[in-house]
Amino acid sequence: MTDATTTEPTGGHSRDLSGARDMIVCENVSKWYGDFQALDEVSATIKEQEVVVVLGPSGSGKSTWIRCINRLEIHQEGRIVVDDVELTNDLRNIEQVRSEVGMVFQQFNLFPHLKVIDNVSLAPIWVRKKPRSEAEEQAMALLERVGIPEQAQKYPGQLSGGQQQRVAIARALAMEPKIMLFDEVTSALDPEMVKEVLDIMKALALSGMTMMVVTHEMGFAKEVADRIMFMEEGQIVEEGTPTHFFENPTEDRTKLFLSQIL
Amino acid sequence: MAGFGSGSEIASVAATATVPITAPPETPKLPPGEWVKANLFSSPFNSVLTVISTASLGFIAWFFLSFIFHPIRQWNAPATNLRLMMTRAYPEEQYLRVWACVAIILVLTGMSMAVWRAGSTMPVAGLGRKLLTTGALLVLLTLLAPFSTGATVQWLAAALVVVAIGESLRRIADRGEAERTVSTLTLQVVALAGVVTSLWVIPFGHHSYIPTRIPQVMEEPGTVALSTKLPWTIMLAIVVAAYFGGALLRDRLAKNTLRVTLVLLWLLAPPVLVYLILRDPDFDMGHVIGTDIPIFLAYAVLGSALLLWLTRPSTGEIGRIVAAMVLVAGFATFLSPMRMVLRLDMLLLAAFALAAPTFAGGSRSRNRYTGAWLLALGVMSWLITSVNTASTVKVPGGFFIGGIAITFMVAIFTIVLSVPLGIALALARTSTMPIFRLLATWFIEFVRGIPLITILIFFSIMVPLFLPRGMHLSEVAAVVIGYTLFSAAYMAENIRGGLQSVTRGQHEAAEAVGMTTAQKTVFIVLPQALRVAIPPLVGHCIGVFKETSLLAIIGVFDLLYIARIVIPGQTEFMGSARESILFIVPIYWIFCYTISKASQRIEQRTGLGER
Repeated sequence: MTDATTTEPTGGHSRDLSGARDMIVCENVSKWYGDFQALDEVSATIKEQEVVVVLGPSGSGKSTWIRCINRLEIHQEGRIVVDDVELTNDLRNIEQVRSEVGMVFQQFNLFPHLKVIDNVSLAPIWVRKKPRSEAEEQAMALLERVGIPEQAQKYPGQLSGGQQQRVAIARALAMEPKIMLFDEVTSALDPEMVKEVLDIMKALALSGMTMMVVTHEMGFAKEVADRIMFMEEGQIVEEGTPTHFFENPTEDRTKLFLSQIL
Repeated sequence: MAGFGSGSEIASVAATATVPITAPPETPKLPPGEWVKANLFSSPFNSVLTVISTASLGFIAWFFLSFIFHPIRQWNAPATNLRLMMTRAYPEEQYLRVWACVAIILVLTGMSMAVWRAGSTMPVAGLGRKLLTTGALLVLLTLLAPFSTGATVQWLAAALVVVAIGESLRRIADRGEAERTVSTLTLQVVALAGVVTSLWVIPFGHHSYIPTRIPQVMEEPGTVALSTKLPWTIMLAIVVAAYFGGALLRDRLAKNTLRVTLVLLWLLAPPVLVYLILRDPDFDMGHVIGTDIPIFLAYAVLGSALLLWLTRPSTGEIGRIVAAMVLVAGFATFLSPMRMVLRLDMLLLAAFALAAPTFAGGSRSRNRYTGAWLLALGVMSWLITSVNTASTVKVPGGFFIGGIAITFMVAIFTIVLSVPLGIALALARTSTMPIFRLLATWFIEFVRGIPLITILIFFSIMVPLFLPRGMHLSEVAAVVIGYTLFSAAYMAENIRGGLQSVTRGQHEAAEAVGMTTAQKTVFIVLPQALRVAIPPLVGHCIGVFKETSLLAIIGVFDLLYIARIVIPGQTEFMGSARESILFIVPIYWIFCYTISKASQRIEQRTGLGER
């Protein structure tokens, strides 16, 4: 996160990440809800500092997939390895992965009974065992980074949607994660608040964070993504750089999807 | 790290929020005559309803008043037996202890009110209107009551004073430009001061038994006895002083330290008051120094060492195994004969050991956790010692105290003990572990299927028979245990409702930042669940308070039993049950209403975050 100077400022997809190490490895991951197969042998490798945007129609399994990566959903077949730790039923592995993977949700899910500053500093204090003063200092720095230090003493219910989502990002960053997962983070926002959240995500991508982003924001995908994956019925139908994906899609399904949204 | 996010956008949002909003048009105020016409006599049907309901209300009031003020009513029965109703046969020469307890509770109350900023303000004009209404009502009731001419004149004069004060307050309020307000706390203190002053001024009469060989009732003219009015005056002074003391501390000390200290003092107060002050244990110092203190020291030293090691972050998995072994050792102590205190201390240590990994961290948090262990161990050791020591307060018939004191004691112990048990049951019932879920569900459904009286009778009669040799449990303690189990089952269901109201998103958010299940439950789920559960929980607490009157059935001398059986059984007051019962109705009502009001305040306070 701190090596912002080493990354190129021109946007994600011009970077060469071939030498970077693997952060997330998924091998033939499958998941069923009852008889419905949500994920069908999904395999992918995500490199350090890479920004991957997952697109697809609703119900295609993209949210399920990224929720599997920090074990909010349990995959039934295949392997998921996050930063060399395999996700199994072993609680210690799950806790280790979760403390290294930050997640931001569509519905913000801030803790309504805690002030903004406590929302951000709670996990560092109790999970990372930081002294309270240090955790609060760090929380203030993060709130400054997402542009709302003046809201620190308020409760989430007193904030606008965009502000709440920025607090949620700060809360995830407070754990100093190596990977950030974004699950349709702008879908529940009013249009005028989408930009303020996307700007923060762009800056985060530029700072070298490994990111997986499920979104419907095509502009964001074009501008920031190193790689775009298109999902349909639990499978990755097509993947490639934004240029390839938006200009020369090979699959018919991708073309249909693009023609409907663009 | 590239700067991102733009502060200016947010500032503009904040600025638009503070633009003054034009006030909505005021609803026109109707003059009284038109208001009555518009609201009470708007249609023939409405008029008939108004007339009929006014007539029935008047009839009910007249009926009650003529009952209360009928010359044959023996109101001197409750008046003479006030002490009996408060504490039953608690020795009069030791009454200073009772007043000390009241004083301690009042000091805590006053300080808590200051620290939590209790009370609110109300406009003076509103207060004036309220007094006017009260005065009018008083006039109405005086005319309905069967008073003698002299009494009627006195009551009417009192009503007129109230009306005059109300009217002048209204005038004062109307004169100023800005709205004048008055603190409700000031009003309460003024009202209490009025009541206390009335003890010194109004000739209620000095009611007492003359302690000769044949007890005789004496009623002297004049004000109440000095032994009543002097302590109450001091109590009022104490609560006011405690409030200002609390306000001073509030401005000097850190908020959280003060609050945590007060909550701890409140939790410590019931056992201290009952087992140390009121019961006056007859400590056998030889036994205390020879046995109790060494046991405490051994557990204190060894337990602290163990916990300091368990809370080291580097201890890891082996710590959990050791903690589980302590628990097994705790259960194993029941297999061989030994002192009960050894077993209970072991179980307490096991609980602390199991929770230790959650509190692992730097040296400060480790020391704090060990301090909590020492505090809990100290309180438990002292409590076990004093419960096992005979009381110096010797009264006829079992327990050393009765009346409203035992009503309070049973209610408070039951509520304080059943809250954590209820939370544990609710968590167990919603847990993912089938064995916990099954046990909790069975327990709750079983207990809820049994009438409370059955449980009370079972615990008062049967449980003492099952106890191991040499272990003694007083009937009241057995009953409190039974009542706690009963109450916890109901609380668990209320809390479970709260737990279900916490959304899945909250669980996921807590998990996503890497919290363990324990941390998620303590910091995220329970605070939200308990707030939702406040209204049903308070309803349940009021129920617990009132249903302590069922204790009468198993022979505990609670307030209702004394009013219903004991006082009417005195030769001087044969057949005065109705008076005594009517007398205790407002006592129960005042406390229940206070609890209810306090819970409304808590709801408002905790609702702050979800505007």
